[in-house]
Amino acid sequence: MLIEFTLNDQPVSVEAPADITLLALLRDYLKLTGTKEACEVGECGACSVMLDGELVNSCLIAAPAAIGRRVVTIEGIHDADGGPNDLQRNFLSHGAVQCGFCIPGMVIAGEALLTKNAQPSRQEIRVALAGNLCRCTGYMQIVDAIEATANERIKKSN
Amino acid sequence: MAELKYIGKPAQRVGGLEKVMGKTKYVGDYNLPGMLYARTLRSDLPHARIKRLDVSPALKVPGVLAAITSEDFHNHGQFGFPIKDMYMLAYEKVRYVGEGIATVAAETPAAAAAGMQAIICELEELPAIFDMDEALAPEAPQVGPLRADGKHPNFLGHYPVYKGNPEEMLKQCDVTIDQKYETVMQEHAYIETEGALGIATTEGGVVVYVSCQSPFIPRGHIASVLNLPEGRVRVIVPPVGGSFGGKDDLNYQAAGQVAALALKTKRPVRMTFSREESMIASYKRGAMRMNIRLGADKDGTLRACQFKSTYDSGAYSSQSPFTSWRASIHAMGAYRYDACTVDINTVYTNQGYAGAYRGFGNTEVCSGIEQAVDEMADALKMDPMDFRLKNCLKVGDVTPHSQTLTESVGLTDCLLAVRKMSDWDRKRKNYSNQPVNGDGKRRGIGVAALFHGTSLGAEGADEATGTIELHDDNLVTLTSGLTDYGTGSRTVYTLIAAEVLGIDPSRIRVHLPDTNTAKDSGPTVASRATMLGGNATKVAALNLLQNLDWAAADLLNCDLHQLQRVGESYVGPSEEPVSWETVVSHAREMGLVLSAHGKWTAPLIQWDEEHGTGIPYFAYHFGAQVAEVEVDMNTGLTDVIGLWAVHDIGKVIFPQGAYGQLYGGISHGFGYALYEDVDYMDGYLQSVNFDTYLIPTSADMPEIHGGFVEAEFSQGPFGAKNIAEPAMVPTAPAILNAIAHASGRRIRKLPANLERVMLGEALKKKASTVSCKVALNIT
Repeated sequence: MLIEFTLNDQPVSVEAPADITLLALLRDYLKLTGTKEACEVGECGACSVMLDGELVNSCLIAAPAAIGRRVVTIEGIHDADGGPNDLQRNFLSHGAVQCGFCIPGMVIAGEALLTKNAQPSRQEIRVALAGNLCRCTGYMQIVDAIEATANERIKKSN
Repeated sequence: MAELKYIGKPAQRVGGLEKVMGKTKYVGDYNLPGMLYARTLRSDLPHARIKRLDVSPALKVPGVLAAITSEDFHNHGQFGFPIKDMYMLAYEKVRYVGEGIATVAAETPAAAAAGMQAIICELEELPAIFDMDEALAPEAPQVGPLRADGKHPNFLGHYPVYKGNPEEMLKQCDVTIDQKYETVMQEHAYIETEGALGIATTEGGVVVYVSCQSPFIPRGHIASVLNLPEGRVRVIVPPVGGSFGGKDDLNYQAAGQVAALALKTKRPVRMTFSREESMIASYKRGAMRMNIRLGADKDGTLRACQFKSTYDSGAYSSQSPFTSWRASIHAMGAYRYDACTVDINTVYTNQGYAGAYRGFGNTEVCSGIEQAVDEMADALKMDPMDFRLKNCLKVGDVTPHSQTLTESVGLTDCLLAVRKMSDWDRKRKNYSNQPVNGDGKRRGIGVAALFHGTSLGAEGADEATGTIELHDDNLVTLTSGLTDYGTGSRTVYTLIAAEVLGIDPSRIRVHLPDTNTAKDSGPTVASRATMLGGNATKVAALNLLQNLDWAAADLLNCDLHQLQRVGESYVGPSEEPVSWETVVSHAREMGLVLSAHGKWTAPLIQWDEEHGTGIPYFAYHFGAQVAEVEVDMNTGLTDVIGLWAVHDIGKVIFPQGAYGQLYGGISHGFGYALYEDVDYMDGYLQSVNFDTYLIPTSADMPEIHGGFVEAEFSQGPFGAKNIAEPAMVPTAPAILNAIAHASGRRIRKLPANLERVMLGEALKKKASTVSCKVALNIT
């Protein structure tokens, strides 16, 4: 079937079977491999994307459910010049990245949180990330990076 | 030493930018034109003879191009290190549920799955062993290979440490304890599952991209099982999505399978595991049963330790001989004893199989000995922190292995620092006298200490070679055969080379490990990348620096010793400063070579396996962690409300990376303490995905307060030692000791889940073979 939606602010139109997941559509049909596949049961969050601004596990969403909606993947998160945005830069400067496999999902989850709660507490950040598993970092520096970004964005908007 | 410019300063992780942008290509992200997908048929019995195996029906399935079994490999695909007891695909027998039997390559994943299901495989079930204590019974079914020495084939090895006679000394001690402790298997839970991509080359060889730790090991295995010269096999390690010791043997099989299929089909062949396949087929941290006896004088002096244990290697030896040996060396903890013996016996069973996992034996024994030490402090009515400070190893002490520690022993400083940082004295006193509150919640605080031998020790030859090259565009590249699977070693090498050469790290790039371009530097295990690879990088950079210095001296009309550096520029006694680029181009004009290898060999060590004595490691990491918990006495729920960790890792080279390793290691120990349990029912794994095998989330983990004691090691690169493995080692016993302090309940079998904390034992759950069998057949 024809699946048409907005992907990272661009309209896309792709012919794909109706019974595949949004994750498979992104990775196998649109060749966007930044979104990771790691459990396929909605537990690990490596496949996190934003669907109309909501954080979702793309492995649990049927591809046709994206029709007419806005999907943002890690490939859509960057600064105007195509480089890393402030959150991504903070992930780097706070040492929040190790093997990196969970990181696209973590960045998406961080952005999704900050759009809803501009000034989250560390505990609120921890709860917001609880659907994204990381086995490398113990989460400390990921929480640090999101907290620092929130503070910078608040400062900037004032 | 001159002030360091890059080492120990904030730095950005090499490869980090691509990772935060989602651009990093892991092996499962590779897509080549005409690429085939591979799928392996796996055993659904824990122990069986392969009666009939016929892959020809699979070849009739549309889209299937090839199918292989052990018959497609030289010598049936036998491989393994240090013991050759595995096969690329099962030969004659299967020994655990999930063992690979045959592999299919097809145009689509669905066709590969259909092909797998079409294979005719008849298994004749054999009696199996699921309890390590039954493995050596005379009538026990044979799981391990026949032994030349006539011992039971299920006996894998005995690992002793002997100093004096603790049996006798325990009789003379004022206070003794005698307890049993038990640990269970743990899943690595790397977020990226296993995977490999094989590509046939025009010269009849094969290139394999495989997510693993040590590329030279699979190169050797693949060359051997495909009967190819090593020069025809190239192994490249793309970015690895976590490993923690877990991406060796099983991924070597995946690498061998895709290599064979690529040669057969002349098409690229990729295999990527589902989470279920990964969890069922992969090796784990092995389970251990320990009996620990300690003796001390009334004044709190530890005198004797007798440690006896059995370690379950499961169906294959994998790294268990080395794991067991490391366990034996660390079994008595970081303390002085007048007499100490350790006996670890390792056996084969049919409970999956055990291999390398962060801490490598020390994680297991530390959870036992650090609880025993706490129980001894209790018996002596001493503060457990004071008791450890009184007995812990210091410079000048002789260890129970009869090694004299001459330098870099920072344990006392770690204990003192973590005591202060965690506000130990006040909390310990308050919680010791707390009334039972109306809400039934009680707090406690516990400590655990560790030592951890650096690098391989007496496990094997220990050396590494790094390569440095200065290119025409003035970019410097580094090559190492050691893998950075998230640990940060590539950043460590960059900072070391920048420091030595006096240039900005942005000028330096680090290649991915590739057997075609890197020198074999041994396995990336045992937290050895900084020590071995760091030293090799330093030697290589010094070789390059010498040639640049010659050029600078020539330009500046002075002697080498008169050269000074201001920023990157060179300054002589009289002439104007010259830029680094000018020096580099002058070096080229002088015909000087601008590339170099640097080889570093670890100091000599020796171990007498029979008499259990010697110098097991050339240096040790030390550390101490404190956990503060709140236990709900009504439900058994443990909330860890704070963790403090101070480790002596020698000189810190890459601070964000070192803290990341510390925090991450602690999260593994946190899960190990409280809920992680690879539960096999008669060989069938009960939790096959993250919905039932729980690992810590960000909401579970408390804030961690870390710190480093930098007791520099004279032979480490800039004084560095190691961090990766030992970060997790003391976490579980610190939490268990805190639970005991809070609740008065000592949990001697991991994990300390609700049932064990509340009732003292885990309730029997209804087990099933279904999830395991279904998961192996998901299409």
